[in-house]
Amino acid sequence: MANLPRKLELFYDVLSPYSWLGFELLCRYQNIWNINLQLRPSFIPGILKDSGNKPPALVPRKGKYMMMDLQHLKNFYQVPIRIPKDFLTVILEKGSLNAMRFLTAVNMEKPEMLENVSRELWMRIWSRDEDITEPQSILAAAEKAGLSKEQAKSLLENSSTDKVKNKLKETTSAACNYGAFGLPTIVVHMDNKPCVIFGSDRMEMLAYLLALQFLGRLCKTDLLAPVSTRRSQI
Amino acid sequence: MPSSEDQEFSCFKPLSTVLKSLHTAHRRFGLPWQILCRYQNIWNISLQLRPSFLAAIIMDSDMEEYREKVGGDQRIQVPTKGIYGFNSYLEKLRKQEYMKNELQYLGKFCQVPIEIPRDLRGVLIDKGSLNAMRFLTSVHIEYPEMLEKVSRELWMRIWSRDEDITEPWSIQAAAEEAGFSRKQAMSLLKKSSTEEVKNKLRENTNTAYKYGAFGLPTIVAHMDTKPCVFFSSDRIELLAHLLGEQWQGPVPQALKGKL
Repeated sequence: MANLPRKLELFYDVLSPYSWLGFELLCRYQNIWNINLQLRPSFIPGILKDSGNKPPALVPRKGKYMMMDLQHLKNFYQVPIRIPKDFLTVILEKGSLNAMRFLTAVNMEKPEMLENVSRELWMRIWSRDEDITEPQSILAAAEKAGLSKEQAKSLLENSSTDKVKNKLKETTSAACNYGAFGLPTIVVHMDNKPCVIFGSDRMEMLAYLLALQFLGRLCKTDLLAPVSTRRSQI
Repeated sequence: MPSSEDQEFSCFKPLSTVLKSLHTAHRRFGLPWQILCRYQNIWNISLQLRPSFLAAIIMDSDMEEYREKVGGDQRIQVPTKGIYGFNSYLEKLRKQEYMKNELQYLGKFCQVPIEIPRDLRGVLIDKGSLNAMRFLTSVHIEYPEMLEKVSRELWMRIWSRDEDITEPWSIQAAAEEAGFSRKQAMSLLKKSSTEEVKNKLRENTNTAYKYGAFGLPTIVAHMDTKPCVFFSSDRIELLAHLLGEQWQGPVPQALKGKL
């Protein structure tokens, strides 16, 4: 008898490059592992405010380290990250509110498109140094992801309704209730309690906790072996 | 043994890299250190342990931010114990709560017997590690071959058995557990409070800071072109990739039967 898939929630914001890494890694594994991956578009400034945490970019040394770290990680994980030229303006002034509201609307109306649209928004901000705040930018990402012009426009209109704004707030609060202080935050629903993991660098540990086979960061399926049925001890 | 960094590098140049691991007897810092120790006889590396003082690094890093905000060159006295700073993340309860859970998972995953101290805040903020780090610096100067063992015993006290590491008899107990005689342990303890040792600890800590450290553990890999700096226990697989070495997880094959 097949085991029920484990539910995994990924709380993310396209403003966060580390969220992109976590997202791509989990997307690589969602058809290999017996998991039900649920993407949860959230708003990182809301999480930082609620937890009293500070964006690493605001601590000079952490900011410098992050630049270097991302250069290594883009090659290591094969995700085409490029730091925006005016990094601080993009992160601190422009932000991602409209984009995350749009993704929330997509999640409510066309959840099957959420992965593609999220990826296109990341490609804009974190690979091609393009805007994600203006309506035309968001529409462009949506169309590139496969939505028609009409669908994209309709979703954009919905983005500014209270229903969507409240849903984004609700998802962000849910992350905070799990104890999130930053993004990406992954919540693994284990048998007895949820297991909360921060950051994109815990995939191997996650595999261990779920008693699943880790096939490396690039998910080399030619290494696939029968998955262990050992139950995790957590 | 050559004392300047340039000489050390050229001395070890025939090996593929020289790895300096800067660490303190603190929290999950035990993890990357433990993992690197497991790999030091598997990978073609020369692992050099550098006992450093976390409180000073966090303070300096926070001060840098403060100075940038207010200008000028205000200096605040480096704390003599514990960790506090403008942005000390330990003040943030949510991170603290997260850390407690995460360390349990990491301990199991990495097969390191971590148990969270009951009074986490007291241990990290009020008690600190200055005496322990001075002692390790003293060991590093006189008996470098014992540094790994004594470090491990201090970690076991604080992070596995919730025992003190600040009092002289606590440090002596760890030293004896590691294999020192009582006499040697007492002599090293006495040496810990000399200017030579205090300066050496400051020097190591400043070196970490010069590499851009904002916390510990910080690993500096001396590659062919320039040093590569990594923070925390989550970059060892990346480090393996850059070194062209094979990552076998936190418990490599060679050790599986022995843990």
